[in-house]
Amino acid sequence: MIPLSHFMLISGLLFCIGLYAVLSKRNAIMILIGIEFMLNAAILNLVAFGKYDKQVMGGQMFALFAIVLAAATVAVSLAIILNVYTYHKNIDPTTIDQLRD
Amino acid sequence: MPLLTFFGSLIFRGNVIRGGAFAICNISLSLILSFILFMQVWNGPAIHEQFSWFTIGSWELQVGVLLNNLSVLMLLLVSGIALLVNIYSTKYMQGDPYIRRYWAYLGLFCFSMLGLVIVDNLLLIYMFWELVGFSSYLLIGFWFTRSTAVRANKKAFIMNRLGDLGFLIGIMILFSQFQTLDVTRLFGADGLVKAAVVSGGSWIGSAGSMPAEWLTTAGIVFFLAAVAKSAQFPLHTWLPDAMEGPTSVSSLIHAATMVAAGVFLIARVYPLFDDTVLLVIASIGAFTAFMAATIALTQNDIKRILAYSTISQLGFMMLAMGVGASGSALFHLVTHAFFKCLLFLAAGAIIHEMAHLKEKSGKDFDPQDIRNMGGLRKHMPVTFITMAIGSLALVALPLTSGYLSKDAILIQSFEWAEGSAGWHRLIPVSAMITSWLTAFYISRLIFKVFFGEFRLSALTGGHVHEAHAAMRYVLVILSVFCLFPVFSFHPLLFEDAWILQGFPQIDSMTRVNAFHTVVPAAVNLISIALICLCYRWYAATAKAPDYSRSVLFKFSQDQWHIDRFYSSVLVSGTTRFAGLLYWIDRHIVDGLVNTAGALGRRLAAGSRWIDRYVVDGLVNFSGYLAGVVGNFVRHFQTGRLQHYLVTMLIIILTLFIFKYYTAAI
Repeated sequence: MIPLSHFMLISGLLFCIGLYAVLSKRNAIMILIGIEFMLNAAILNLVAFGKYDKQVMGGQMFALFAIVLAAATVAVSLAIILNVYTYHKNIDPTTIDQLRD
Repeated sequence: MPLLTFFGSLIFRGNVIRGGAFAICNISLSLILSFILFMQVWNGPAIHEQFSWFTIGSWELQVGVLLNNLSVLMLLLVSGIALLVNIYSTKYMQGDPYIRRYWAYLGLFCFSMLGLVIVDNLLLIYMFWELVGFSSYLLIGFWFTRSTAVRANKKAFIMNRLGDLGFLIGIMILFSQFQTLDVTRLFGADGLVKAAVVSGGSWIGSAGSMPAEWLTTAGIVFFLAAVAKSAQFPLHTWLPDAMEGPTSVSSLIHAATMVAAGVFLIARVYPLFDDTVLLVIASIGAFTAFMAATIALTQNDIKRILAYSTISQLGFMMLAMGVGASGSALFHLVTHAFFKCLLFLAAGAIIHEMAHLKEKSGKDFDPQDIRNMGGLRKHMPVTFITMAIGSLALVALPLTSGYLSKDAILIQSFEWAEGSAGWHRLIPVSAMITSWLTAFYISRLIFKVFFGEFRLSALTGGHVHEAHAAMRYVLVILSVFCLFPVFSFHPLLFEDAWILQGFPQIDSMTRVNAFHTVVPAAVNLISIALICLCYRWYAATAKAPDYSRSVLFKFSQDQWHIDRFYSSVLVSGTTRFAGLLYWIDRHIVDGLVNTAGALGRRLAAGSRWIDRYVVDGLVNFSGYLAGVVGNFVRHFQTGRLQHYLVTMLIIILTLFIFKYYTAAI
């Protein structure tokens, strides 16, 4: 029986890697992957805590729901990235700073 | 009936622009009406019609016309002379581009003059008085392109204003004393002025009393009005300058009628004058007569000589008024009106011809200067004869009208002086000297103009010829009026004159028979002697002794320095006073205003400073703060997603740290 703390550790590690990727990568795809990391860290947490709710399985259900949601989000994100690429011929988020003004 | 004349004049004024014929028609109508009136009123009961004009409070102003001997005589005189001058003007003013304006002005003048003599109310007299002054102003400045004419009419107007001021003050004094301005009620046979008595230093009238000085003051101010209008010293200087107007105008206004308005006014308000005022009038009259005669001795401008002669004769009338011979004064007024009008019109004919000559020859000379004339007797016989008759009347030789009236004045002034003492005797003596001087200057004029050789024949080569028939006939008619039968059937005795009998005689004077023979004899003999001297000097030998370097000559030539005195003392004094006032205005009044202004500016600057740095400062500071904050915050707004994320992370971490270390947030 793997203790809950391991899950938490893995999850925190995953979250930190994702955060790092999101903050430092120069490629929008990599940032998207970082986001996925962070999302999966959260889902891992949900599943891990779901062990304590055997009756309704709320944790697993919510994890499934989050995965579906993540898939939808990724689809939308990729579409945005594609549009950004066609507009800027570039997907480096450091150079795309039109939000500034 | 009198209103008809009045309206006739009014219509005449309105339509007169159509031309001289209409003007003559109207003035003839006026003359006929005046004559009818004259026949009705002369030595009969006076006609007095009144109606209510307006009411102020409980006081009602009655106006109307008053026709007594004085009014109808003046009416006849004014319309008669105006008719002759109108006829004369048709030729004299022919070809003038502004002839229509001329007729209109002349009509206005006749209207106001006729109005002046018939109205019965001092207020109305004052109005017509002003109108007369105004129309005279217009006529003097008729040739408004000449700067001298413009100056002259301004001068005449200003001088007349001084007199009008006197008139107005007189009206106010009389009104506050008697509460009425009606001439009959004031000055009639049993009028208020006669009823008022001076007792115990106060002048008690029907309506109230005031200090006795006011009676004298009222007399003096009315006399001041007459002084200005009749060109007496010291306000006489406008009359010679007024000669800038057309000669026909000079003859009508400045010789015959308007200047007589002053004498007329004196006659109207005669009962008002007390002894002091009468003495002042007599002295001023005598002095003016003497002064003007001496000035006339040396002038060279033909019209100027006649102007000074007019002043001198008006001085005689004033003198007669002053010594109580008001009948003689009016008699002289009438005779003088005829012969002076004649002299002026004859002079006008000469000037007319000289001006034509000047135009024809193209040479430049003054057509009014008697030094340029001479020998005109042969070329202009009618003018010569008529002018000679006028001059004889002016000199007052027997058989002329002037003799009757002037001797009346002289004799009566001698009689007056007999009853009083001291320097009063100077007055008739100076009057006598004046009449000798008159003989000299007028014969100098005649001889220089008509005798000897024509002085410009070499220069121009042209010939002067007789004036136009219209002008000639007028001269002849006027010269008939200068002869004695028109006024009195007895050529030597003035007391037979019908005009004198129309006025109340002063019976206080004793008739001194000696004067009646000695005075005319003395006057005439010496006058004739002077005329002979003149003839020798100016006509026979053409070599007059040259006095032009002597002090007296220059004094006279410069018109007693009066004009210069006025311009140097009064005008420059006024200018200097105005300068002083200007300085005060500039430095004190303006200074105050400027100080107030500066103070206001300081205040404004202070409040501006406060506004700028305190009020605006607050606003600006808040704006500035917002700007600074904005600028500061702007650094976070890089537009890069990752920076936003970092910021979010930091904030969340900070919140967690706070949460962790503090008990409850």
